[in-house]
Amino acid sequence: MKKRLMFITTIVLMFALLASACSSGGNQSGSKESGNKDGDTGQKVKISIWHNFAGDDLRAKAVRGLIDKYKAEHPNVEVDAQAIPVDGYRQRLSTVAAANEMPDVFFVYAGSHSQEFYDAGKVQPITELMDKYPEWKNNFMDGAFDRYEFEKGQIFTAPLGMSATSFMYYNKDLFEKHSVKVPTTWEEMMIAIKTFNDNKVTPIALGNKAPWVAQSTILGSLADRVTGTEWFLKAAAQDGASFTDPVFVEALGKFKELVDNKAFQDGANSIDNTQAEQYFIQGNAAMMISGAWSLTNLAASATPEQLAPIEVTTMPGIEGGAGKGNTISGGAGAGFALNKNTTGAEKQAALDLIYAVSGPDGQKAIAESHSMVMYKVELDESKVNPLYFKAFELALKSEITPVYDAYLTAEAGEAINNGLQELMMGGKPEDVAKKLQDAQSRSTK
Amino acid sequence: MPASLRSRSFVIMALLPALLIFILFAIVPIFWSAYYGFFDWKGLGAAKFVGINNYRLMLEDPIFWRALKNNLILVASAIVGQVPIALLLSLLLLKNTMFNRLMRSAVFLPMVLSTVVVGLIWGYIYHPQIGLLNQLLETLGLESWSRPWLSDPKINMLAVSIPINWANIGPYLIIFIAALQNISSEIDDAAKIDGAVGWRKLFSVTLPMIWGTVVVTIVLCISGSLKAFDHVIVMTGGGPAQSTELLATYMYNNTFTVYRYGYGSAVSTMIIIISAMLIGLNYILTKRRG
Amino acid sequence: MQTTVNVRSEKTNVSLWRKPISGIIKIVLLLYATITLYPLYWLIISAFKSNQEFFNRPYAWPQHWQIDNIIRAWDLGNMGRALLNSTIVTIAALALTIVLGMLAAYVLSRFPFRFSGVVKGMFLLGMLIPIHSTLVPLFIFMNKIGMLNTYWSLILPYTAFELPIAVFLGLAYLTSIPREVEEAAMIDGNGWWGIFGRIIFPLSLPIVATITILAFLRFWNDFSFALVFINSQALKTLPLSLSLFSDGFGTDYSLTMGAMFIAVIPTIVIYLIFQEQIMKGMVAGSVKG
Repeated sequence: MKKRLMFITTIVLMFALLASACSSGGNQSGSKESGNKDGDTGQKVKISIWHNFAGDDLRAKAVRGLIDKYKAEHPNVEVDAQAIPVDGYRQRLSTVAAANEMPDVFFVYAGSHSQEFYDAGKVQPITELMDKYPEWKNNFMDGAFDRYEFEKGQIFTAPLGMSATSFMYYNKDLFEKHSVKVPTTWEEMMIAIKTFNDNKVTPIALGNKAPWVAQSTILGSLADRVTGTEWFLKAAAQDGASFTDPVFVEALGKFKELVDNKAFQDGANSIDNTQAEQYFIQGNAAMMISGAWSLTNLAASATPEQLAPIEVTTMPGIEGGAGKGNTISGGAGAGFALNKNTTGAEKQAALDLIYAVSGPDGQKAIAESHSMVMYKVELDESKVNPLYFKAFELALKSEITPVYDAYLTAEAGEAINNGLQELMMGGKPEDVAKKLQDAQSRSTK
Repeated sequence: MPASLRSRSFVIMALLPALLIFILFAIVPIFWSAYYGFFDWKGLGAAKFVGINNYRLMLEDPIFWRALKNNLILVASAIVGQVPIALLLSLLLLKNTMFNRLMRSAVFLPMVLSTVVVGLIWGYIYHPQIGLLNQLLETLGLESWSRPWLSDPKINMLAVSIPINWANIGPYLIIFIAALQNISSEIDDAAKIDGAVGWRKLFSVTLPMIWGTVVVTIVLCISGSLKAFDHVIVMTGGGPAQSTELLATYMYNNTFTVYRYGYGSAVSTMIIIISAMLIGLNYILTKRRG
Repeated sequence: MQTTVNVRSEKTNVSLWRKPISGIIKIVLLLYATITLYPLYWLIISAFKSNQEFFNRPYAWPQHWQIDNIIRAWDLGNMGRALLNSTIVTIAALALTIVLGMLAAYVLSRFPFRFSGVVKGMFLLGMLIPIHSTLVPLFIFMNKIGMLNTYWSLILPYTAFELPIAVFLGLAYLTSIPREVEEAAMIDGNGWWGIFGRIIFPLSLPIVATITILAFLRFWNDFSFALVFINSQALKTLPLSLSLFSDGFGTDYSLTMGAMFIAVIPTIVIYLIFQEQIMKGMVAGSVKG
């Protein structure tokens, strides 16, 4: 018995040794050697790109396709493309950042994520790409580069998507059945909520297990209607306004009003947003306030019958608030950033790669995969489902207001996300406001 | 033991490889990480030495205390829920009958499923609208007992501990069975002759013989509960509003999500310190009995 | 001390009771087993449902069984390659853990030396370490020695983190093996290595099988190390494939379930095999008396 065991062990270890010798990839993610292949065409240039389009959805396939196309068109460039599952993306990127071993090109989220990389001196601008392709630059919608212009006149990332987060989807059949008017004012909203509850229909489907959902979809828009955009920008910069101002407490109070009137289904904090979407599309809820990603999800999983009665509009306005109605919270989505240490031929190749994915072709491909972009695309109506088309048009027409987590630091974002869950469990607006204020001030330089 | 040169070389050669790998890949990193705990570092950019400031902040953070409390709830429920049940089951399933073998496999099965699967399934069981549990209560006419199990802060920690215990009984069952079957049959016969059967046998013969194993099991329970991460992350993410936050999820969030890397490292060092204290306590309490 | 007669009659009384009680116990156990097996059953039926059916009828028997999920999950997640990698890494780490762990346990239980307390304490410390805190230090270290992106970058850390448990379980088990056994072997002219290889290790098979099962599960299901230390597609392990199908905004449950179904089969097989080993070892052990 022992002999056999020893024998097996030895074989296995030999096998493992052999296997590792044959397969050690050697290069880790982009170690930066500067310009040793400067201007030397015909020599292999190596660049690495990390992103999280790892799944089977249309958008992921579109992006991977664009990278493959670049590879085919540039045979002298060796591209190490890593598609990392979303769940592990931040962890992996943070780890290599801490070890100073970042890839040449990497995907960053708008807001604190990309801001932190800039503050730490890890990224360089891609402005020369903009200068090279001015038509491309001008076709972006207003505000596309707002969160990516860390220095005056220097753009660091071109967004690959538009995050429009506060569409109000509603089931028009349910509204007709219970003779409720689709709300355009706050009072009408309250009436609708009450009527639906009386008839045992959930007014608004919400899946807030991942707590960013309520903040991103509802709070941003809701608060803006009460406080106005200018106040928010000042509070986020901690310059002339604070989150403990009464106007914000009032905004939180409006959210609490929704909770107190049982606008959301029970236990919304333990359901994830995919399940909430399903709940809605199966006709159990009258409304759902969610972002453009729901369109992508529903396009993949809902039947045409289920989609038929669904319409989309903006959230109702609030009388007397400082902000306007008819706005949607949103902004530039995530995009690719360029490593500061990438220079010379690698930098050129990297810039070209960025253009391949974020350029006009890329934007179009992404838009046609049921994912909104911040770019003026001529959308081919036959390639997308009607709901998506309606939503896209709506987004183009509406004014865009900020999404909170794009302007708050990571810590403050956590604070408000958890704070909203707290409100849903009976917490007080003043407490949540204070927590947010403390977090933002503590982590803002 | 003959203290010859041969045995000395055996000791060194037998122990060294294990020690080497262990020190290089486990001990050194943990001290390195403890070192980070003395800095205010975002994980990117410059690090500023702040001494024990991170620890001070930690002790002042109510979320840290809540996480600690939650972990202690897990430890308690593990020691009460896992060890006695595993022990009981191992006694019941001792003989190698077909039925017993099937039962053992069934008990062990949850451990085999990945934590993601376990989290998903229990998420469905606890689902407020379409969950099995609430539906079951409804059909039994106990609708008033149905709750949003994972979002109600009064009960969600307990709700979360059930799948964790359920999944972890398996290994302890196997460990106990291995230990029990190791008790020589001579002792078994001696006990019978003495008339020690049933409960008396259990307490005066069996338990003392496997006490070493029981202690090790409790230690594993404690250390496992203090490191609990996977199940909770999948089921609740530590929420809602951090009501099910655990030390490990707290550390993970701070390290990888909100860019407080130095602070996160301090938290993980704290986890080790607390675990060591609890295990020390356990040894003291169980030394006397042994 | 009771007389033989009393013992016999006590036995008879007890056996009258025993039948119905053991019957009830059996029923309770069966119930427990059914509840415990339910999640596996749920996983299997879910793996064969389309997304729509999964959401509309989560608990029902599939209306039509589609193996599409499994095929697509296999392709997309490159699961053939991932299975191979997981197997290689797991087996190698297992071999190292068991051999080195039992050796260390043997030394610690039989050869008390000046530092054995310290060594035991170090292993104990190792059991308490939350692995996420070692990600960055390990990454930096392995990067410096060029070990990243190889099988070893997983095998060695896995072994290191499982050694404490192996040593502790081994220690607890070995202390119950009487020393006479070794002394007899030494008289026979065996060196320490011979004693370990021919006597101690075979005797420890039950605990080795136990350690194997526990370690196997840990290595097979590890996500964090595999995520961070492995770059190339060709070396990725199974758990990474499982998380591919959620994009942060939505999860493709049908693919995820399909992938999980594939991943669960080897673990069940290994468990069943090793469960038999524990049994065989135990029967041998109890006969030895």
